Amino acid sequence: MANLNLTLKVWRQENAQAQGRIETYKAKNIPDEASFLEMLDIVNEELVHEGKEPIVFDHDCREGICGMCSLTINGVPHGGKKVTTCQLHMRQFKDGDTIWIEPFRAQAFPLLRDLMVDRTALDNIIAAGGFVDIRTGSAPNANNMPVRKKTADAAFDAAACVGCGACVASCKNSSAMLFTSAKAAHLNLLPQGQPEKNKRVLAMVRQMDAMGFGNCTNQYECEAACPKGISVDNIAKLNRDYMIACAAEAVGVFS
Amino acid sequence: MNDIITTACKFVTSSIGRKILVALTGACLLLFLVGHLAGNMTIFGGSTWINNYATGLHAMPAWMLMAIRLGLLAILLIHVVLTLVLKLENVNARTHYQKEGTLKATLASRTMVLTGVMIFCFLLFHLWQLTVNGDPHDCYNHIVAAFSNPWCSVFYIVAICCLFMHVRHGLQSVFQTLGLSTRKVRPLYNIVAILFGLVVCGAFISIPVCVMLGIIK
Amino acid sequence: MNDIKFPVSDYMPDSCIPDGPIDQKWTKYKREAKLINPNNRRKYTVLIVGTGLAGGSAAATLAELGYNVKCFCYQDSPRRAHSIAAQGGINAAHNYQNDGDSVYRLFYDTVKGGDFRAREANVYRLAEVSCNIINQCVAQGVPFGREYGGLLDNRSFGGSQLKRTFYSRGQTGQQLLLGAYQAMEKEIGKGHIEMYSRHEMMDLVVVDGHAKGIVVRDMVTGEIKSFAGDTVLLATGGYGRVFFLSTNAMGCNVGAACACWKKGAYFANPCFTQIHPTCIPVKGEYQSKLTLMSESLRNDGRIWVPKSREVAAKIRRGEMKPSEVAEGDRDYYLERKYPSFGNLAPRDISSRAAKEACDDERGVANTGRGVFLDFKDAIARMGKEWIDGQYGNLFEMYEEITDVDPHEQPMMIYPASHYTMGGLWVDYNLMSSIPGLHVLGEANFSDHGANRLGASALMQGLSDGYFVISSTLPTYLTTQTPGSVTTAAPEFKEAEDAVKARIKKMMDVQGTKSPDEIHRELGKLIWEDVGMGRTKESLMDAISKIPAIRDEFWNNVKVVGSTEGVNQELEKAWRVAAFLDFAEVLCYDALNREESCGAHFRLEHQLADGEAKRDDANFAYVACWEYKGTGELPVLHKEPLTFDTVHLAIRSYK
Repeated sequence: MANLNLTLKVWRQENAQAQGRIETYKAKNIPDEASFLEMLDIVNEELVHEGKEPIVFDHDCREGICGMCSLTINGVPHGGKKVTTCQLHMRQFKDGDTIWIEPFRAQAFPLLRDLMVDRTALDNIIAAGGFVDIRTGSAPNANNMPVRKKTADAAFDAAACVGCGACVASCKNSSAMLFTSAKAAHLNLLPQGQPEKNKRVLAMVRQMDAMGFGNCTNQYECEAACPKGISVDNIAKLNRDYMIACAAEAVGVFS
Repeated sequence: MNDIITTACKFVTSSIGRKILVALTGACLLLFLVGHLAGNMTIFGGSTWINNYATGLHAMPAWMLMAIRLGLLAILLIHVVLTLVLKLENVNARTHYQKEGTLKATLASRTMVLTGVMIFCFLLFHLWQLTVNGDPHDCYNHIVAAFSNPWCSVFYIVAICCLFMHVRHGLQSVFQTLGLSTRKVRPLYNIVAILFGLVVCGAFISIPVCVMLGIIK
Repeated sequence: MNDIKFPVSDYMPDSCIPDGPIDQKWTKYKREAKLINPNNRRKYTVLIVGTGLAGGSAAATLAELGYNVKCFCYQDSPRRAHSIAAQGGINAAHNYQNDGDSVYRLFYDTVKGGDFRAREANVYRLAEVSCNIINQCVAQGVPFGREYGGLLDNRSFGGSQLKRTFYSRGQTGQQLLLGAYQAMEKEIGKGHIEMYSRHEMMDLVVVDGHAKGIVVRDMVTGEIKSFAGDTVLLATGGYGRVFFLSTNAMGCNVGAACACWKKGAYFANPCFTQIHPTCIPVKGEYQSKLTLMSESLRNDGRIWVPKSREVAAKIRRGEMKPSEVAEGDRDYYLERKYPSFGNLAPRDISSRAAKEACDDERGVANTGRGVFLDFKDAIARMGKEWIDGQYGNLFEMYEEITDVDPHEQPMMIYPASHYTMGGLWVDYNLMSSIPGLHVLGEANFSDHGANRLGASALMQGLSDGYFVISSTLPTYLTTQTPGSVTTAAPEFKEAEDAVKARIKKMMDVQGTKSPDEIHRELGKLIWEDVGMGRTKESLMDAISKIPAIRDEFWNNVKVVGSTEGVNQELEKAWRVAAFLDFAEVLCYDALNREESCGAHFRLEHQLADGEAKRDDANFAYVACWEYKGTGELPVLHKEPLTFDTVHLAIRSYK
């Protein structure tokens, strides 16, 4: 165990309208076994004692599953260690390091304060079609529909997305393709998702476009930044499914 | 019919739809590149070969030549215009970081517009130099004369290097955009793209290099 | 030490349990329940606070039925509620494994696991709808673990000798919550649910004795707003963060439940707090959260400490690696004490056993508060690949946090506050003692008694939300004229003013301590005095010290920033204030319950072998506490528990 002394360059911005700026803070005596957010807690505790406003950042479960924590660390969402920021530990840094901390940036993620952004646009994509439209109570016995284990596993891999938005924040074009394609793939792979497959794909893609995200240019930055290892295979699948859905819509296979 | 038009409109205004069009036109341009290269390689057979090839092309019925030219122009324009529109949207969708970081995006992928614009400028020059001012009956000497000018050769080589960068990202990107890519084959596409780029661009570059080295004279 | 004499009231609201044999109560209830015409449903506004498994599933289901739903959560999206962190699985009596499971067995195991302090009728209903939950979730596309034949797989969990737990690797809660969230988003998209994210419930509005609205704080603008409805559904989770360090999310809090308690809802069995046996031990003072390692790990991991204190001390000092300890020097204490359940003994028992081992100075981790969970034998038996298939993400998570590879060295674990069985009292309709206020999921007290078995929380949350509330809500709503109360009612203004005044009061203190510091102080006290082993002395100690911490808060807290815009310090302060108002009733309840049962362990009441000694003659009741003012003694109401189906017996897992 060792203690670290760090220089933090943190984005501060009072509210959506205000002019933001980078401020410099010293983080002193940070235990290397602390998590990144615990490091910020320590810095904030000090700021509070000095009567200054602490750095605002989103976080909740702190075990890497809720997807609420964000932070772009040294230009890479979640710091690029394949974990969420709450699971990033200070042993990944060296004593004397300068760390840049910025919000998840994208026009579709309006900034609320400091490092906190509004990711409702992702919810809106799900609301457009990221579901199986069944009513509670109408489901048949669960084992009536066998699902090939491989298919179930692939669906699970896609469903593991925590909706943090790192894919958007890391993308040079702020595209939400990885997020959208993961949810679409999760449901499109499973037999339960088949009846609405085309409808879902069209609705989700059109909603994604409407939210002001950019366009994917196959740089795979999203996959590299994703804390849950969501594969860009899902994007290829969404492209494929979208072509099929458009063709089906055009010739009226479903309407 | 209405449904088809509505869907088509939605398709060409959607992000994925436009990307698919860019991929398809890109693939066509790659094919053209292969054909073009095959023709160019006849220069190594001597002046008769390439002059025959050039006059052969011009012997095509005028309507056919015009159709091919217009077709290529249309493909090129779709490719260029759509990528520029997509790029514009991408710029507008993004907010810049004070400290930028990159994990995986290749230099080639990040400079697609730059290399694309370079290639486009080169293309205009290339057409002006070798098609507008060219003489199909004496293609060989025209090429040798052109590349004997070192500035011209250097410009050509730089442009082809840009083309390599563009193709290196573009080719594997086509597979992903058309939904033909998976985790298992993606590395293969990447290798194919690099090899394809090296072979094609190397072959193109070999001409000015050989001219300057005096192998072709 | 003076004895506290709690004021006891004879009054107890009817728990509304249908009569008839236990296996027909719910059927009978549904057959006779009031219905609301589909065209009339949209006239009713339902306010739902919390979007976890209970709140989210209720919102989706009620919106599908046609009610006008307004939903609130403090997170930035309904998908982030802390149900998402549940790892292991969800129980259901499908008997897909052909190992003799049935609704009755699930019911029996749950009542027994809860040490006979749960309401039989509720538990039976829970077991009855358990299969529907799995069916529902599979139809939604929840990717449960499957066998090669394509059918669903099961694993076993603590307190059960069957395999009845359905799972999605180590992320079952996440996948179930995403199912509910997707169902909810579907209704949001259709315009049937109005979603208010980043809104925290500050107070309940009671009009003419009925819950008719809520006051919320918009956490982005800071605005205090009111919403009126025909009923309020509270699904705000538990109060585990009263211990400060817990496996709960940072935002989990008792604020909404405490506000309802103050407005007249009874708080039932608050002393039933579950300490989860398998969490990553505490590292340092700066920590504000502990990480859970799924109980499912106990399927294949073996728990041990060194037999001798010397070896333990060497390991603590880092002079010896745990893997170097010889087989004969290891004490697999759970297997030794509970041969038939072994490492799968229920949570309360496992937690206490870990504490005993550490109290005996045989604990590991640098603090001495840790035991080993070893996969050496399982890896030797099944292979590394198989283990990774079962627990891959948990192993990665552990390594990420501790920098130790559990394939090589055993995991270190220690108990931590995890789940609270206690909660607001509800009747069979899930309605609290305030008419119109319904409480769902962990926020209510109903189904787990004194101890919750693994994989039962997800079941209860979804049962309440998907299947119970949709049938029981009309019972209340049909007595009400829809839309009869609007925010124009003076009670709303009063509640808003009270909230604003309380905020102003805490902002005006401008003392020296941050809300977190005071919370940490409270947490330490509660952990020490009201944790795994409680005594009269420890409880009296806590009761005497809590008012001082509360005074410290109101005289020395420092809340920086303003009331407008985002202010996370204010959010923390508001939540800590609620914990401070609530903490005493937790102690009072623990003090009043002069017995040991489930997670509530009074050192004075134990059998010769150290097991919990229940006192069914005097304490087979639900202790419901009515608020009488902060610092005042609450009034105790008792709901007697009768066990007609399962006979009261000593809970044995030997």
